[in-house]
Amino acid sequence: METTINLSLWVETYTSDLYSWAFHKVSDSELAKDLVQDTFLVAAEKAESFKGESSPKTWLFSILNHKIVDHYRKKVNQPLALENQALSDFFEADGGWQESRKPKDWKEVDDEHLLDDNEFQKVLKKCMDALPDKWNTAVKLKYLTEKNGDEICQELDITPSNFWQIVHRAKLQLRDCVEKNWLNN
Amino acid sequence: MIKQIMNKLFLSCLKASELIEKKMHVKLSFTEQMQLKAHKMMCEACTTYEKQSLILEKGIEQHLNQKKEAIDLEQLKKQITMNLNKSKS
Repeated sequence: METTINLSLWVETYTSDLYSWAFHKVSDSELAKDLVQDTFLVAAEKAESFKGESSPKTWLFSILNHKIVDHYRKKVNQPLALENQALSDFFEADGGWQESRKPKDWKEVDDEHLLDDNEFQKVLKKCMDALPDKWNTAVKLKYLTEKNGDEICQELDITPSNFWQIVHRAKLQLRDCVEKNWLNN
Repeated sequence: MIKQIMNKLFLSCLKASELIEKKMHVKLSFTEQMQLKAHKMMCEACTTYEKQSLILEKGIEQHLNQKKEAIDLEQLKKQITMNLNKSKS
């Protein structure tokens, strides 16, 4: 009975902080809401194991963080059928660039300028959304987890070489998409 | 044949662009650093690739740091409480 009382108090007290953190980590409001909900459901299930050794807040955040890592682990370990085909789209058999996919010089603007350009941002967003889920996640992980490559791999159970390859393919596709959609504007 | 030897020494564009991505996450080994440097000296496409890839990185970061949408926290709290009650029964 006591845990029920605690839980509703915790929902009232910590939902806001948990949500902010979850959103910061996944940058998707619907997903962040789900993660916070799941956190409380797990907390309800495991209420007996909470011994009050840490503060409720610390305990809830540790559950939430597990949920977030789980979410990314699932995404990154999803099989993706396109994967092998993708590299041969960009490179010849000997590893040289395909002529049509060779990076072209973008308009002569400096980075800052480019990144302030609304049109460019729009194209970039569109191209990120067009990536397969797994690739989209891979390119964001560095910023979302604020961890270095080795730690990301460890946490998500993927081999480092596999991770670079995913990021590599994602960036090739992203760059190509941005170039085609932006330069042709 | 010559191409194969060159690729071993100075990397193929495929491998070089992969190292460029790797470099943004971890420190490359000394050999990898040297190989990548040599490759870029000879390869304009990969030099361009790196420049653009860095711009994309900054763009991704900016995009992720955008302000969060305001959501209805009270609604979320209500929903959570409801689900908690449901799971109990």
